[in-house]
Amino acid sequence: MEKFLTVCPYCGCGCGLYLHTEGGRITGVSPSRNHPVNTGSLCVKGWNSYEFIQHPDRLKYPMIRERGALRRATWKEALRKVAGELSRIKDSRGPDAIGVLSSAKCTNEENYLMMKFARAAIGTNNIDHCARLCHSSSVGGLSAAFGSGAMTNSITEIKDARVLFVIGSNTTEQHPMIGMHMLDAVDRGASLIVADPRKIPLAGFARIHLRHRCGTDVALLLSIMNVIVAEGLVDVEFVRRRTENFDAFSSLLEEYRPDTGERITGVKADDIKKAARLYASEKRSMFFYSMGITQHVTGVDNVKACADLVMLAGHIGLPMTGLNPLRGQNNVQGACDMGALPDYYSGYQAVKNPASRRKFEKAWRKRLPDRPGLTLMEMLHDGVRAMFVMGENPALSDPDTTHVRERLERLDFLAVQDIFLTETSEYADVVLPAASFAEKDGTFTNTERRVQLIRKAVEPPQEARPDWQIICNLSGLMGAKMHYRGTYEIMEEIALLTPHYGGTLHHRLDEGFGLQWPCPDISHTGTPYLHRKKFARGLGSFTSVGYMPPAELPDGDFPFLLTTGRISFQYHTGTMTRRTHIIEREEPVCLMEINPEDAKRLGIAERQGVRVKSRRGEITVTAAITERTPEGTVFLPFHYREAAANILTNPALDPAAKIPEFKVCAVAIEKAG
Amino acid sequence: MKKNMPVPIKTEAVKEWVLDKNHLSYWLRQLRKDFELVAPLRERNDIVLKRIDRIHEIALDCPASIPSPKEFLFPQFEPMLTKGTDGISDLRDGSKRVIFGVRSCDVSAVNLLDKFYLSGIADPYYESRRKNTLFISLVCNVPDGTCFCAGLGTGPYLKTGYDIQLYDLGDRYLLQAGSKDAERLVGRHRFLMRKPSKTDHEDQYEAQASSKAMFAERISLEGARQMITDGKVADDFWQDVAERCFECGGCVYECPLCTCFSVIDRKYNAGPADEQVERSRLWDACMFKGFTGMAGGALPAEKRILRTKRWFYHKLIYYPETLGAFGCTGCGRCTITCPGKIDMASVVHRMGNEYSKG
Repeated sequence: MEKFLTVCPYCGCGCGLYLHTEGGRITGVSPSRNHPVNTGSLCVKGWNSYEFIQHPDRLKYPMIRERGALRRATWKEALRKVAGELSRIKDSRGPDAIGVLSSAKCTNEENYLMMKFARAAIGTNNIDHCARLCHSSSVGGLSAAFGSGAMTNSITEIKDARVLFVIGSNTTEQHPMIGMHMLDAVDRGASLIVADPRKIPLAGFARIHLRHRCGTDVALLLSIMNVIVAEGLVDVEFVRRRTENFDAFSSLLEEYRPDTGERITGVKADDIKKAARLYASEKRSMFFYSMGITQHVTGVDNVKACADLVMLAGHIGLPMTGLNPLRGQNNVQGACDMGALPDYYSGYQAVKNPASRRKFEKAWRKRLPDRPGLTLMEMLHDGVRAMFVMGENPALSDPDTTHVRERLERLDFLAVQDIFLTETSEYADVVLPAASFAEKDGTFTNTERRVQLIRKAVEPPQEARPDWQIICNLSGLMGAKMHYRGTYEIMEEIALLTPHYGGTLHHRLDEGFGLQWPCPDISHTGTPYLHRKKFARGLGSFTSVGYMPPAELPDGDFPFLLTTGRISFQYHTGTMTRRTHIIEREEPVCLMEINPEDAKRLGIAERQGVRVKSRRGEITVTAAITERTPEGTVFLPFHYREAAANILTNPALDPAAKIPEFKVCAVAIEKAG
Repeated sequence: MKKNMPVPIKTEAVKEWVLDKNHLSYWLRQLRKDFELVAPLRERNDIVLKRIDRIHEIALDCPASIPSPKEFLFPQFEPMLTKGTDGISDLRDGSKRVIFGVRSCDVSAVNLLDKFYLSGIADPYYESRRKNTLFISLVCNVPDGTCFCAGLGTGPYLKTGYDIQLYDLGDRYLLQAGSKDAERLVGRHRFLMRKPSKTDHEDQYEAQASSKAMFAERISLEGARQMITDGKVADDFWQDVAERCFECGGCVYECPLCTCFSVIDRKYNAGPADEQVERSRLWDACMFKGFTGMAGGALPAEKRILRTKRWFYHKLIYYPETLGAFGCTGCGRCTITCPGKIDMASVVHRMGNEYSKG
């Protein structure tokens, strides 16, 4: 039996695990005992992450659509077809008629190559990935406030914190190993504040649970800050030395007294005061947030309010403090870092900045486009004629999927590169089979900025190839030759061009459990917490704006508020978890959480079928009656193709970050049949 | 606690030899000619149990390996058979393996696994691996903070029930063979060994005493069993335990004594001409609500408390009733792996604090 140390392919925790093989087959996994994130533990998905790898449904050879059906093709044929079609569209309609979706499930090296392919080979900045749907508001909001948008502190610091403030994150279910550190902190006497409309498991351990109405986060946070100012709990020294723009901000705060907060959010003014005092008066206070903050039309506003709260209390730039967005995908941090974004090259070097553009032009020896490209939602809703999609499944993951599917249908050309046939590949003209995380080398960057090596344990099935090799092949056919002997050579190029990753070379990462960026040079040992002494942008800026309601609130026709998210036993569009026996057996059907009072009023019984309708479509799901969800609100997971919650969700976007409002829309509910 | 000792396999006097430490790697190299040699290996910052290519990398000063050596007898995912157009072929593994450097607690666990899987109708997959596997265990002198075998009789050294047991006596090992196979194996390299002298046995006694003295934890499973059977432990206690459960299944996966599996069939090579079905089994866990799920969709153990409570009942009450020993060898792996800290040691400890006063 062989064992290979690698990184879990599910959430952003980035747990270290060993893949076990016998005779070239995967026979199991085990946790790394000394890994700083998971310390010998894994969640149920991690423990079962071996099973989908060698599933018979894996894509084994390239396929081309002919007369409506996909048929087996050779690599040569398929690559030529993709390169040919993309070149034709580029020549006839211009490079900006093509959109590229990179993948938060792929390695840093692959994301880097993908953005190089889009920019240097195709010649467009139309490259984006699913971070648009999860943390683009963090990137925008935190860039404005701090100058850098990543988790500021480290997971290992959690257990020593005294106060944990968790808003919009179901941590024990969605980032279980971070949840484990949180429980550890609580056991050691830390106080936990949870702000979430749902009674999530973590709330059971909280000193204070603030159950605000969905979409009222800004009002909640501003009223907490109002209390901090009113009661003299501001870290005056910090605000004076390290921030700017406080005066304008403090006049905004005056409008949000706790009673105003109570009126908007439904949280008692008393609880708002208690939370404010608790958070501000302890020095080792860590603040966490996730999708509950970002996936709103006011996503950027929400993030800015979080940043302001942290600065007001002076809880940043030290260990056991900070503003900690929890990233959802194994490498969504890395995919952003690598510049799989329409407006940034790797290391957040702006496309608009002529100096950084010249730097990449010189390195790649190509003229590069100077206008930022289209975001994911914009590509899918207008603009492009052809798309190249790597390891993403927008036909299930994006809001208002009926519309998304129409758009995919109408594209002149769609190529999909993935490990399984997905809902998106139903529209593909060419499907390219890729290698999974167990079949290639490279690096993932976890939520705490830890760049870690993944290691090849088995060969890809039949003709499947690592994504980076496919991109190299295609790029060569489109006139931009890429040649790398291994992923370590791609990392060398990344290190040259990306200041944060200057020292994260593979041979260094091989020694321990990775390095946390910024790691600017070959002797640097990584950075456990950011913004020490000085913010990335110099002075931190108070940038909060006033409360705005969600884009679509319940009304007479659609009286319920629908909020969506993940459950602990499934993952995103289910391509991996739904092919994992144990996990699929736990949650095989889409359950809609509904409050007992609402269920009684509608005459809905436990496990009864219900029809959920929004302005955009309708689905049939099974009711699960629970106190977890407050009255007037229902919760749906988005994992199930047979009951796709995103048929219902609202594609209204945050004006700056272009993130859609997955967390709030209005629906009507009735018994089915 | 004596009744929890594994059943003696042999009755005659223990066969003993002394092996100079300088000769250990030579001996292992000889063994490797006929066996796949598996041992704890320092792999970057962890210690893992895996096939050894370079003998000098074996890490004998290691804490408990994660997961337990049960994966060599009962792997997490094990192909059982394939059915193709040319009939059924058996995929049973019969590789010859020596597993070197495991702990006494794990050997005690294997003895109980044998009882479970081999008495009555034997499990052929387990049996095939088991009869081709030989354990060379080491008397434990580096217990983890989480270990508590000392009070259970499952370690740190064994009186019976081992294949080959080594005592570290400083510059040499005292080597005991506990089975006929083991004697034959050692016999092949008798020229490396000598008979133990009085000094060796004095040092052995000292090694036993000092390894026992090194344990930090004292956990009384018997005390916990009595508290439960006396009806002292209320459901509120189990409810508190259940609320901390992450439903990861780690306690079951890591436990050297948990034996549950699921069987799945997968169809490879679509197309009627060359269809091949493979049947495999994979680790399953009673911590999952679907584990006892019924065909119609009913979930008798949907409430988490029913599952967490059952796991402890199984280990502490049903195991002694059916197999004559606790379903726990004190290896402490669940303590290491449980994200909610509701492992055996913590829960028993807490139970003692709450119910054993007065």
